[in-house]
Amino acid sequence: MSAVELRSLPEHVDSARPPKPSLFRTLRFRLMLSVALVHAVLMGTFVWSEVGKQSQAIRADLYSRAHSLITLMAVASTNALLAEDLGSLAEVTQRVKRQPDVMEGAIIDVRGDVLASTDARQVGHRLRLPDAALARQGHGRLRLEEQIRVAGQRVGTVLLEMSTRHLQSELAATRDEGLLFILLALVVGSVAAWVLSLFITRNLHILMEAARRIGSGDLGVRVALPARDEVGLLGGAFNAMAESLQRISAQVQNEHEKRTDAERLACVGELSASIAHEIRNPLSAVINSVKLLDRSNLPAGDRAQAIAILNTESLRLQRILNDFLDFARIRESRLQEGDICGLVEEVAGLIRQHPQAAAVKVEVECDAHHSRARHDPDQLRQVVWNLMLNAIQAIPDRGELRVRVERAAGTVRVSITDNGSGIPDHLLDKIMRPFVTGRKQGTGLGLSIAQRILMQHGTVLSIVSHVNVGTEVSFDLEAT
Amino acid sequence: MLCCGLAASLLLFTCATAAARGPRYYRFGVLPLQSPTMLAGMFLPLTDALQHALHRPVEFVTAPNFASFMRRVRRHEYDIIYLNPLLYTRAHRWGYHVIVKVAGEPFTGILVVRRGSPIHALVPGRLPAGLRIGFPDPNAYAATIMTRQFMQARGIHVNRDMKVKYFGSQDSALMAVYYGMVDIAGTWPPSLRSMPRNVRHSLRVIAQTPPQPQMPIAVRDSMPAPEVRRIRRLLTHLTATADGREVLHHLGFSRGFVAARNSEYRGVKP
Ligand SMILES: Nc1ncnc2c1ncn2[C@@H]1O[C@H](COP(=O)(O)OP(=O)(O)O)[C@@H](O)[C@H]1O
Ligand SMILES: [Mg+2]
Repeated sequence: MSAVELRSLPEHVDSARPPKPSLFRTLRFRLMLSVALVHAVLMGTFVWSEVGKQSQAIRADLYSRAHSLITLMAVASTNALLAEDLGSLAEVTQRVKRQPDVMEGAIIDVRGDVLASTDARQVGHRLRLPDAALARQGHGRLRLEEQIRVAGQRVGTVLLEMSTRHLQSELAATRDEGLLFILLALVVGSVAAWVLSLFITRNLHILMEAARRIGSGDLGVRVALPARDEVGLLGGAFNAMAESLQRISAQVQNEHEKRTDAERLACVGELSASIAHEIRNPLSAVINSVKLLDRSNLPAGDRAQAIAILNTESLRLQRILNDFLDFARIRESRLQEGDICGLVEEVAGLIRQHPQAAAVKVEVECDAHHSRARHDPDQLRQVVWNLMLNAIQAIPDRGELRVRVERAAGTVRVSITDNGSGIPDHLLDKIMRPFVTGRKQGTGLGLSIAQRILMQHGTVLSIVSHVNVGTEVSFDLEAT
Repeated sequence: MLCCGLAASLLLFTCATAAARGPRYYRFGVLPLQSPTMLAGMFLPLTDALQHALHRPVEFVTAPNFASFMRRVRRHEYDIIYLNPLLYTRAHRWGYHVIVKVAGEPFTGILVVRRGSPIHALVPGRLPAGLRIGFPDPNAYAATIMTRQFMQARGIHVNRDMKVKYFGSQDSALMAVYYGMVDIAGTWPPSLRSMPRNVRHSLRVIAQTPPQPQMPIAVRDSMPAPEVRRIRRLLTHLTATADGREVLHHLGFSRGFVAARNSEYRGVKP
């Protein structure tokens, strides 16, 4: 159970710290982009239409000026044209020439002869209109022509050519200004959008950070969001969630402590009862024997028996006490790398000399090159001793005890097999508990001690047993 | 706009080339008796009619003043001229000859005052001192020369007794008396008739000279005889058709033109 908890915790921490999304996928960026885009499109459309309007106005201004000027020219030159008053006509064209943007102005009689022109060389000649006009069209010139009519008849023509260069540059300036405005709008819009998106998503970031901290176990975290919008509501809900999470967690903790306290008390009670139970019989035997010895008329035979009982029972008391002390005093394991084979051989050698092992064949199978594992040698020696001892005690007269040390994936497995009496089913579930024994002489602490030591090595005992066939007890160590 | 200009230019171009290749323009020079636009209004229907009859374009032109008109006459810049009898005698010397003259109304000069003027008749010695008199041009025959001769004959020495001003055209001289810039103006009946009604009605004629031969229309001596005949025929037959009468109406010569000979103008002297 605890192993599951240990493994699942880091996973939890991982999920609380999600990989940071790339800038382009953040809500903040998208918000900024959309606001900036909408702003730019609106401003662009607006500015562009304004530029269009202005351009139209500039154009219309030039056209209307040109029209007014040519009309004026026609009116001003009518009399002089009819009278072929070249001086007056020249004055008209000279005045026209002084007007802004005027490139050329000419007054032509009905035959097509130039009577006056801003270009003095043309005067007196037939107008060289065609090629000149064709060549000039569309080269920054606006060419207008007005007929001079008297009494419904054409008596001459006025030509006016205005430069559109000024117009063009004005248009270009207007357009550039417009573009600049759009650019400015884009920049201002982006900044505004950035600030706006920061403002809107700031609270989301606060929430995200808080959620991350809750994920990593800090249940006390709360968010203070002044906003009254959906994010504000979310913040409230988040706080409520954190509140109940903290409360539930506290409850669970509390209950867990209560349960372990109860379990511990029960354990202590059980242990005390077991000790009392174990000690009661030998102690009353000792007390009775001492009472018997106190009698002066005790026959010698009874006396010797009483002394023998005293001996046995006090030895038994001592053994119980020693085993219990062994159980109670198990120290922290000091794990180190070392050879398991040697250790097992050593214990097997001691077991062979044990009086109960006289008729038992003890065998060790071990590959000395593949039996290095992390362990505490003193403690492991005790584990192997206890298990081998149980095995020879389970063999009534003759039998076989086999110890195998073998290398598996990342582990070194130690298994002790005997062909003894086996463990009855009703015992199999409880024999790991202290003071549970199936033997008259047993204290029921051997397997408990072995199990506790192995737990400190990060492993447990596993027992497979069949009554009247035999038993296999094994455990795995971390190989090195 | 540019397209329009282009189209118009091309049109003008074709006109110009057509003119350059087609029959030569005849220039109809009119003595600047009145303002150019007013003269144009009078003579353009006539040049239009001539154009049709001659199958060639006829251009109406006038000049800034009598002197420049006569210089152009001398340089033969005009093919047809309309001028006064006195100047005609000069033009005749330079190679023009009369073909028709204005019909009906005798050619006289008149002296005009404002309706409210104290002057009623030209009696020498009874005219107020320091009178101002206006003429169109020193060479205006009826308006200036004939009226001067008329006053001279009555013992009025214009240059000595009056302050003389020239206004360039008949209209200007009439407008000058109308506005009180001069006390008397020398002019001739057609000009007075062509004045706006209110002007006409606030003026009064105090004297009229004896008649002289009417205003002539003359042509270049070098003009081919058939053309000359055609022009004369057109001019003398204007009264016969409605179109012709319309032309005459614009001119203000209701009785049209009659054929004339050079000999009629022999008696005209400055
Ligand atoms: N190898 C074995 N074969 C049969 N029974 C066994 C074996 N090992 C242990 N047991 C049973 O488990 C009981 C508990 O053993 P243990 O905890 O060592 O206490 P004890 O040996 O003092 O009884 C033994 O009394 C015995 O009944
Ligand atoms: Mg045991």
